[in-house]
Amino acid sequence: MEHSATVSSTFFFCTPLSHERINWYTECVAYGAGIGSEQKRTFTVFITGDALFSFVDAQSREAWNALSELPSVQIVVDGDELRLHGLGDSVGAASPGITITERGGGTLFWEQLVFHLAGEWKGSKKAGFLLCHPPYMSRIPVHMLRFLSGAFNAGLSPELYAYLDGVHNIHNGQRPSEFENIGRTIATLSRTAGESGKDPWFAACSRCATARGYFQMNPGTGYCEPASSIEEITIRPLKEILTRFTGYYPILSHTSGGIVPRDVSGQQEIPPRLVIFITNPPYGTEWTFGGLSLALATAMDGIPTTVVFVEHGVYSLYGTHEVPPNDKVFNVQEMVAATGDVPSLCYLVHAPSLERRGIDVEEHLSGIRQVQNDELARILWDQASPATRILFF
Amino acid sequence: MNDFTELTCTNLMIKLKILLKKLAPGETLSFFATREQVDNTCAPFSSNGYQVVWDQEAENRYLVRIGK
Repeated sequence: MEHSATVSSTFFFCTPLSHERINWYTECVAYGAGIGSEQKRTFTVFITGDALFSFVDAQSREAWNALSELPSVQIVVDGDELRLHGLGDSVGAASPGITITERGGGTLFWEQLVFHLAGEWKGSKKAGFLLCHPPYMSRIPVHMLRFLSGAFNAGLSPELYAYLDGVHNIHNGQRPSEFENIGRTIATLSRTAGESGKDPWFAACSRCATARGYFQMNPGTGYCEPASSIEEITIRPLKEILTRFTGYYPILSHTSGGIVPRDVSGQQEIPPRLVIFITNPPYGTEWTFGGLSLALATAMDGIPTTVVFVEHGVYSLYGTHEVPPNDKVFNVQEMVAATGDVPSLCYLVHAPSLERRGIDVEEHLSGIRQVQNDELARILWDQASPATRILFF
Repeated sequence: MNDFTELTCTNLMIKLKILLKKLAPGETLSFFATREQVDNTCAPFSSNGYQVVWDQEAENRYLVRIGK
């Protein structure tokens, strides 16, 4: 199927999927499958972890089943994780259109994902993971390790970018009694890859590391130094980490995607554009600030970047935000308003998310274009675009 | 006096764009920045119609003034 396609799209989900997300996402993919008849598009969705429960929920399952009936869509589900969650038989029976990976000691799904991505990003020699979750409280670092180990085993150089709470993975001296030791496994993977002639690149964001105490000022030198962190991961400015995003290779995150034209002639020299979905409310967590900071940094580096406020992310554009004098947070609305003139950066807001909440965009931000699912699909599968990376915050 | 020395270059740029938008003609924005911030983030504002000057106050610490 995929070898005759002209555009290949891959999505990866491992966190809980709301009805809202499944509805707009499946609708967009369905539009994407229908538009631009001169292009043959294929869509492959890889699902593991908590996202698997969307096959149990009746409403979500219906949307997945409808999507899986499209001939250009393939949904691949992690069979080992399904069985871990006790869902193997029920999901297989209720969703006959999906592909469930065989028993594989926890690795088969990841091998298939890496094999698929390596075929999609033709000629790439690396694979990266943007890690935003901490170890042990979240299973996503385990998924990250399985993906990067799979990439290494397939002959690719693994790259890890620890961001936001993902920098907690760099803490040295981790000693979990019941779980896989994430810090040690990261260090081992980095060392092993380096010793075998690969070029591993493991980094953590210096702003996030400083905030969390892993990068401390040495009063003697006046410069920050790593503190309590494993030495296989280098702490670097986000700007430096994002230079990796100009490369032509797959980069996954906990919820992410990639759209890659199959005709790769000249593609490797063009930095993939970036689409960032802001899905969380503005101030309760670091997701919105982290997503916007990353988007601005990539745009200022010349990478075409589109930010889409979607789901609860639309609250960033609702009402007039006033930061109390002693509260040290960025006013998200001021960030957006002040950076609307940055070349390579485009802000959009998902109209169905606004409609669902019965709200509208604040007047002074009304210049931000509202998009319905069909228009969002046209933007994602823009025929003139080079490869596209999609990240959710 | 604002001390922006701990901000990343990206976040300093955002902060300056926000603050400069609120700046009335004739007013000046003053703050402390590092050498890297001065070179990468502050100085480029001079090409956008702003007057940017800085004085070294200490090792890797500069007092920057930006006016319209």
